[in-house]
Amino acid sequence: MSYSTKILERSIDPATHEMLDHAQKSGIETIWDRLDAMQPQCGFGELGLCCRNCAMGPCRVSPFDEAGPKLGVCGAGRDVIVARFIDRMIAAGTASHSDHGRDIAHTFLLAAEGKAGDYKIRDEAKLKALASELGIATDGPVQEIAVEVGKRMLAQFGQQEGELHFAKRAPKKRQDIWKALKIAPRGIDREVVETMHRTHIGVDNDPVNLVLQGMRTALADGWGGSMIATELSDVMFGTPTPRMSAVNLGVLKHDEVNIMVHGHEPTLSELIVAASRDPELVALAQKFGAKDINVCGICCTGNEVLMRQGIPSVGNYIQQELAVATGAVEAIVVDVQCILPSLATVSGCFHTKFITTSPKAKFTGATHIEFDETHAYEIASTIVRTAVENYRFRKPALVHIPEVKTECMVGFSVEAIVKALGGSLTPLIGAIAQKQIRGIAAVVGCNNPKTKHDYSHVNLVKELIKRDILVLTTGCNAIGCAKVGLLLPKEGAEMAGPGLRSICQALGIPPVLHMGSCVDNSRVLVACAAVANALGVDISDLPAAAAAPEWMSEKAVAIGVYAVASGVFTVLGVMPPVLGGPAVTDLLINGAEGVVGAKFAVEPDPFKAADLIEAHINRKRTDLGLPV
Amino acid sequence: MSHHLGAFLLVNPERCMGCHTCELACAVAHTHTGTLTGAVIAGESFSPRNRVVQVSGTKFPTQCRQCEDAPCVKVCPTGATYRTATYTAVNPRSCIACKLCMMVCPFGAIQIASVRTNAHAKRAAIKCDLCVDRAEGPACIAACPTKAISLAIPKEVMESAIHDSSERYLAALKAQDRVADK
Repeated sequence: MSYSTKILERSIDPATHEMLDHAQKSGIETIWDRLDAMQPQCGFGELGLCCRNCAMGPCRVSPFDEAGPKLGVCGAGRDVIVARFIDRMIAAGTASHSDHGRDIAHTFLLAAEGKAGDYKIRDEAKLKALASELGIATDGPVQEIAVEVGKRMLAQFGQQEGELHFAKRAPKKRQDIWKALKIAPRGIDREVVETMHRTHIGVDNDPVNLVLQGMRTALADGWGGSMIATELSDVMFGTPTPRMSAVNLGVLKHDEVNIMVHGHEPTLSELIVAASRDPELVALAQKFGAKDINVCGICCTGNEVLMRQGIPSVGNYIQQELAVATGAVEAIVVDVQCILPSLATVSGCFHTKFITTSPKAKFTGATHIEFDETHAYEIASTIVRTAVENYRFRKPALVHIPEVKTECMVGFSVEAIVKALGGSLTPLIGAIAQKQIRGIAAVVGCNNPKTKHDYSHVNLVKELIKRDILVLTTGCNAIGCAKVGLLLPKEGAEMAGPGLRSICQALGIPPVLHMGSCVDNSRVLVACAAVANALGVDISDLPAAAAAPEWMSEKAVAIGVYAVASGVFTVLGVMPPVLGGPAVTDLLINGAEGVVGAKFAVEPDPFKAADLIEAHINRKRTDLGLPV
Repeated sequence: MSHHLGAFLLVNPERCMGCHTCELACAVAHTHTGTLTGAVIAGESFSPRNRVVQVSGTKFPTQCRQCEDAPCVKVCPTGATYRTATYTAVNPRSCIACKLCMMVCPFGAIQIASVRTNAHAKRAAIKCDLCVDRAEGPACIAACPTKAISLAIPKEVMESAIHDSSERYLAALKAQDRVADK
């Protein structure tokens, strides 16, 4: 099958090509069509030079010295406007991850108090380890320990003074840098609120001071909200361990009830998975002519259940409309974040029920079945039943499922990596020292229709492993990698350089380790901190880097900034809206190195991005006295 | 308008940010209310006569070149499209929205939109009229935040080119000592 150049330029994924062609022939509009219709996009917005923070505006200051206003009505110049804007993006990203973390902590506490009986403590060992870390006695009953841990974690959000518990996981040198710069986060919500305050008209008007607060806010995400989400999800739903699954649109089944869970939180999706195994509901599905109930995921809710339950993933973020356009989805069940409002329209073309569940995220045109942790299984059952009953209305003539899927190995929590290494990080450190593994790169982030889908994700990762750089992956990068076999121990290892390949073959692991959803980037921080602590160095001394080749969300901005503020060199594949502020841009891509020991680079070409990461890793190896 | 003889809108693509402000200003200038909020409240339709495009990464607005030998005028079956000494325009009352002008315009500068003639709503061709009814001149020029649009008068551009090139020619001759300073 050959496709138009336009379709081939939009993605590297054959399943996506097939569905784009199908969508086009069926008259279904997609995210790519809307980007085309949006051209050209406003240059003031692209450069970050548009300010709408007060009603004296909107102000657009000119990037040209010779023409147009140089100051907003309040008097803010280019750099102040850019810094305020990027700070608000960080605040929104931090708020999103952290509100997710808050919901997990809330559910956790309800469960511990016996008020949400459908949730259990599945990883007692991790609960006790967390309790010890927090200074909570671990000799009492599990429920009591869990209540105390839950309360402490929930209190982190509203904490006003002091520091975040998990920030203490960072190397001492790193914590000292944060303290010296006064950017150690005091509480999670406090930093978000303070950023909103500082970016109000007439408050903080020093670009450097603004960027530093942006870093503090982002750190409250990485070492706060996100990390709480990861840790408590592990205790409640189980710490991921390596397992096999499959990805891409071909995981949808012709003869089964397909339920797609989408969004970011595991709270409901875990119970949807459980309810889908209810014999009564399976029997009902069979009564309607389906063989079984097939739950699959998409986006990061998909990653959560993929990591813990091996639930197959339909694809990454940008494939959500295409998944519905298969006409084979009985229900797409969503919670929060990265859910396209256009799903209501695409679902409307088929029998598909678009079911919203969060009081925070309602969509016009969707069916709302509100989730409540205290009746979780009952609600999950209702949702599954709704999907099952909808199977009757599937129109076989409209069904088009690409026969494309790839097997993958997922579930590499830090605990699982340590276990795979035989109980400690020492073998990994040894392999780095001996140059079998030259360094570690975390490649993460979204999809963005401005970049060819999966092209940068896949090519950057392939280039890195070829150069013996171990890749840690989360979110939509992970699914992109899975699609091309990079998450397979055998096939993945064959794509790696000789050093990394031999390690992978010895341990039976892929060269690209799937660590989870986008909040699970906190696992990367934990891994970096553990390696740095084992070596007695700072994170910024490690031969390590990060990249977000196809990012688009405010959450990704927060992630990028907490990575840099934690000492990790970070390469972005898409330009953030900062170029209008020359001083802010210089601070991010140069000056930050001297302040927090790491900086950003922007490189859309994945091959050149790999060069940047390799050069950085070589520099760090030289500084550590390791062979290059 | 006599001093604008043969004028048209000249765009500096290097200065254009692609913000679409000129499109909005154009649409507003051609509403009955004449202000953005007023027209929104009145439920008027917005139809810009210019369009910001992006070609090989460069953004800039495009609109009618006010051709002297205008194909749109020639092709119009009802005489709705006409040319004055300085610009081309459409009389919406006699326009039948046959789209012939749209088809023949080499700049794609004409489109069909909903218009109001007196209290009567109809479809008709619309195009840039250089805001001839607006005392301050074209709304897009005033609205552009980076001053990327200006009103060019070909004769003035030509004279300035003659002057500039003559100066360069003279300077070149002087450099070769072929003309003495006066």
